[in-house]
Amino acid sequence: MKRIDLSRDTLTLGSFGGKVFVLSGVLGLAGLGVSFGLKSIAGNDAFMKSWLFAFLAVLAICLGALFFTILQHLVKAGWSVAVRRLSEGIAANLVWIWVLFIPIFVLMVSGNGGHLFPWAAPEAAHDHLLHEKSSYLNITFWWIRAVVFFAVWALLSRFYFGLSRRQDASGDYKATNTMQWFAPLAMILYALTQTFASYDWIMSLEPKWFSTMFGVYYFAVSVTGFFSAILLLIFFLQKSGRLQEAITREHYHDLGKLLFGFGVVFWAYIGYSQYMLIWYANIPIETSWFFPRQIGPWYWVSLILIFGHFVLPFLLLVSRWPKRFKGSIAIIAGWMIIIFCVDVYWLVIPVVPESALAGAETYDQLVEAVTPASLGWQLNAVDFLLPASMLSLLLSGTMFNLRRCSLVPTSDPRLEESLSFENF
Amino acid sequence: MSALNVDNTVDDPRQRSPLVLGHTDFASVTNEICAVNEAPKPPKLWYVTLVISACLASTLLVLVGYLVVTGVGVWGNNNPVMWGFPIVNFVFWVGIGHAGTLISAILFLFRQKWRTSINRFAEAMTIFAVICAGLFPGIHIGRVWLAYWLFPIPNQMEMWPQFRSPLLWDVFAVSTYFTVSLLFWYVGMIPDLATLRDRSNNRIKAIAYGFFSLGWRGSMRHWHRYERAYLLLAALATPLVLSVHSVVSFDFAVSQLPGWHTTIFPPYFVAGAIFSGFAMVLTLAIPARQIWGLKNFITMRHLENMNKVILLTGSMVGYAYGTEFFIAWYSGELYEKFAFINRAFGQYAWAYWIMVSCNVLSPQVFWFKRARTSIWLMFIVSIFVNIGMWFERFVIVVTSLAQDFLPSSWGYYEPTWVDTMTFVGSFGLFMTLFLLFIRFLPVLAIAEIKAVMPEADPHAHHEHDPDHDHEEGHA
Repeated sequence: MKRIDLSRDTLTLGSFGGKVFVLSGVLGLAGLGVSFGLKSIAGNDAFMKSWLFAFLAVLAICLGALFFTILQHLVKAGWSVAVRRLSEGIAANLVWIWVLFIPIFVLMVSGNGGHLFPWAAPEAAHDHLLHEKSSYLNITFWWIRAVVFFAVWALLSRFYFGLSRRQDASGDYKATNTMQWFAPLAMILYALTQTFASYDWIMSLEPKWFSTMFGVYYFAVSVTGFFSAILLLIFFLQKSGRLQEAITREHYHDLGKLLFGFGVVFWAYIGYSQYMLIWYANIPIETSWFFPRQIGPWYWVSLILIFGHFVLPFLLLVSRWPKRFKGSIAIIAGWMIIIFCVDVYWLVIPVVPESALAGAETYDQLVEAVTPASLGWQLNAVDFLLPASMLSLLLSGTMFNLRRCSLVPTSDPRLEESLSFENF
Repeated sequence: MSALNVDNTVDDPRQRSPLVLGHTDFASVTNEICAVNEAPKPPKLWYVTLVISACLASTLLVLVGYLVVTGVGVWGNNNPVMWGFPIVNFVFWVGIGHAGTLISAILFLFRQKWRTSINRFAEAMTIFAVICAGLFPGIHIGRVWLAYWLFPIPNQMEMWPQFRSPLLWDVFAVSTYFTVSLLFWYVGMIPDLATLRDRSNNRIKAIAYGFFSLGWRGSMRHWHRYERAYLLLAALATPLVLSVHSVVSFDFAVSQLPGWHTTIFPPYFVAGAIFSGFAMVLTLAIPARQIWGLKNFITMRHLENMNKVILLTGSMVGYAYGTEFFIAWYSGELYEKFAFINRAFGQYAWAYWIMVSCNVLSPQVFWFKRARTSIWLMFIVSIFVNIGMWFERFVIVVTSLAQDFLPSSWGYYEPTWVDTMTFVGSFGLFMTLFLLFIRFLPVLAIAEIKAVMPEADPHAHHEHDPDHDHEEGHA
C-alpha cells in the first residue's frame, strides 16, 4: 500500500481560481451576448432551439455530477473520495443553472412556446391526441414541474456540497454517516426528477412520440458528459500544479473505466435497445421520431454518433494503458465531451416533418418530399457558440463554487483509502 | 486487529467492517469451510431435502416424458395464449440465474469485497437455474426430437432457423451465458479444488479433485495467471449479465403487442432478474449458513447488503412499472392504455396485485435496519420476491396475450396439473443439483475469503506504528 503525503500538495485554487472564474465567466457571458446578436441570422425559433440544446448539455453534466456524488455515499465508496469534491463542485452549479432556463421559461409563459414545444401552441387544443395529453402537457403544470425540478436539484447539490465542506472544518466523521443516510432518498428524488425533466424538455418536443426508455437515455447522456468533464477538470487542475499528490493515476484509471462502462457501453446499450425495438415493431407513431434522424443531413449525424460515441471510444478505452496516462485519457475525454454535445444536439434539434408524413404514400415519396429545413436542420454559428459559452459559464461557476474550499475532502474518513488504492 | 465476534453491521466510516468473523488465521478458515465436504456424513436435513428434491425431479422427468409421448395438448396453452407456463418458467429461471454472474463479475469489477463469501454458491445457483431455464423452451417446441433445429446447422435441405427471430437470439444468448458462467465458476474453483485434493483422505476423492484441479500447485506463477484469467473472464461476463435478459426481453418487446412492446424492457428485465436472483440467493443462503455453520463467513453484513440490493433493484422494477403505466397513459393510444388498466383491474387483476405487493411493497421493509438484520423477516421477504417475480412474468406473458386488440379473439388461460407439476418439478431438479453441489464441491471461495481478511494485508499489523513503517521503507 502506498502512503501519500498531502502536506506537499496544493489543495486549493487560490488566486488561480479567481482568474479562471473571471476569464471563463467573461468569455461565457460575451459568448451569450454575441449569440444574442446573431439571433437574427439564426432566426428566432432556431435560436431558442439551440439555446435549449446548450442548456440541456450543461444541465446533463451537472446532473451527472449530482448522481455521482450521491452514488458515492450510497455505496460508501472509498476510492473516489479524492475526486468527490470536484464532483460536488460541478453539481453545485445546479443552484444557479435555472438562470439559463429563463429564456425558455419566458418563451413558454408569454404564450409563444408553441414555436419550441408544439403542444404549447394554441392549435394543439384542436388536435385530438394532444388534447388527450393536455392534463399533463399544459403550460401551468409544465412550469410548476420545472420549478420543482430546479428546487430539488438545488437542494440536493447544496446539501452534499455544504455538509462535505463543513466536514473539512469540523473533522467530524459523523457527517459521512449523515450524507450516507440521505443517499437512498436523494437517489430516488434524482431518478424521478431527471426522468420527468427529460420527458418535459426533450421528449415533449415531439409531443406525439413516446418511449419508456427515454429517461434512462438522458441518464446515459448525463453520465457521459459528467465523466468526460471531471476527467478534463482534473487534467486541467493538475496542469496548473494542483492536486499533484492527491489525484493519482489510479483515479484516472477508475474514472476512465466508468467513462468506458457508462459513457460508451451503457449508452450504446440503451440507445441500441431503444432504436432496435422501435425499428423492429415498426409502428408509425414510434418510428416517426427516428425518421428525420435517418435521412438527409441527420443521417450523417447519426452515423457520427454510432462511430464517434461508441466504436471509436470503445476501441480507445478498452485497453488498460490509455486510461492510465493523463495525456491519452484527457484527449479521449475531450473527444467524448464534443460527441456528447453532438448527442444532445441530435436529441433536441431534429423535427418530425408532419406534413410530409401525412402527404406521402410511399417511403420514396416521403424522402422526396422532405427538405433539410423541414427536418429541423439549422446548423449555424449559434449552435457552436451557445454550448461553448454555457460550458465556459459552467467552468466559471465550478471555480466559483470551489474558490474557498479544499479541492479534496480532507477530513473524509475514507480519504486514506482513496489515496492508497492501486489497480493491479 | 482481527475481528472475532463483533457486530459487523455497524457503520463506522473510519474503518471497514470485518467480513470474516471468528477467525484470525487462514488454517481455521480452510478447516471450517472444508468441513462441509469432509464431514463423514452430511446433516439429516440434507438427506430429507435431497429425497424430496429427487422425487420432484423425477416427477419432472416423468411429466416431460408424458408430454413428449402425448403432445403439448397436456398443457393449458391455448389460442390466444400460446405462451403459457413454459415461457413464464423459462423467464423466471433465467432471471434467477442472473445473481450469480452479477455477484461474480460485476461486483468483482466494482471491488465489492463482500462478494467473496457468497459468489461461489450464487454462481452454482446460476448454473442450475439456467439448466432449468433451458429445459422449458426445449420442451415447448412440441417435437422435442427436432430441438437441434434451433441451432444453425448446415444441412442438405438448406433449412435455417429464422435469424430475425429473438427466439433464436435466445438460443445464442442463453447458451453463451451458460458456457461463460460455467467457465467462470470452474476457473474460480480451481485453487479450492486443489485444497480439497490435498486434504482428501481416500483415493477416489484424490483422483477426482486432482483431475479437476488441473495440477494446481499454488505457485506464484499459477496465481498470477489465474488472477489475470479471472479478471478477463469477469470483464467478458459483465456484458453477458446485461445481454441475456435483454435478449429475453426482446422476445416480448420486438412484437407489436401492447404491454409487450415497450422500449424500457431490456434494462427493466435485467433489474428484475437481479432482483429475483438475489432473493433466491438469500432463500438458499439463510438455511445453508444455519445448517452448515457458515455464519462466520456469510455474516449479517452480507445478508444486510443483499437486502439492500433487493431494495434497490425492487425500486428499479417499481420505477419501470411506474414508467410503463405513465407512458401508456401519456401515449394517448387506446390499446396501450387498455393493456395496463386491464392488467390492474381486468380478469388477471389478482395476479397483478400479487406481483405489485410482493415486488414493490414487500421489499420496502428493508428501509429499516431492524428488518434488514432480521433473519426471519428477510427470509419471508425473499420468498415473497420469488413469488412476485414469477407472477411478474405470468402477468406479462398471459395478460397481454389473453386480451389484445379484438375482443372476439380474447381468451382466458388456465394451467393444467401437468403445467403446475412440471414447474414444481423444476424446483426439484434445481434443489437436487444444489444439494449435491454443497456436499461435493467447495461451497465458499476459500482462497478469496482469505484475501479479504485483514491478515492478508502485509501492513495489517503495523497500521498505527510509524516507526515500523519507517524501517520497512529502508528494507
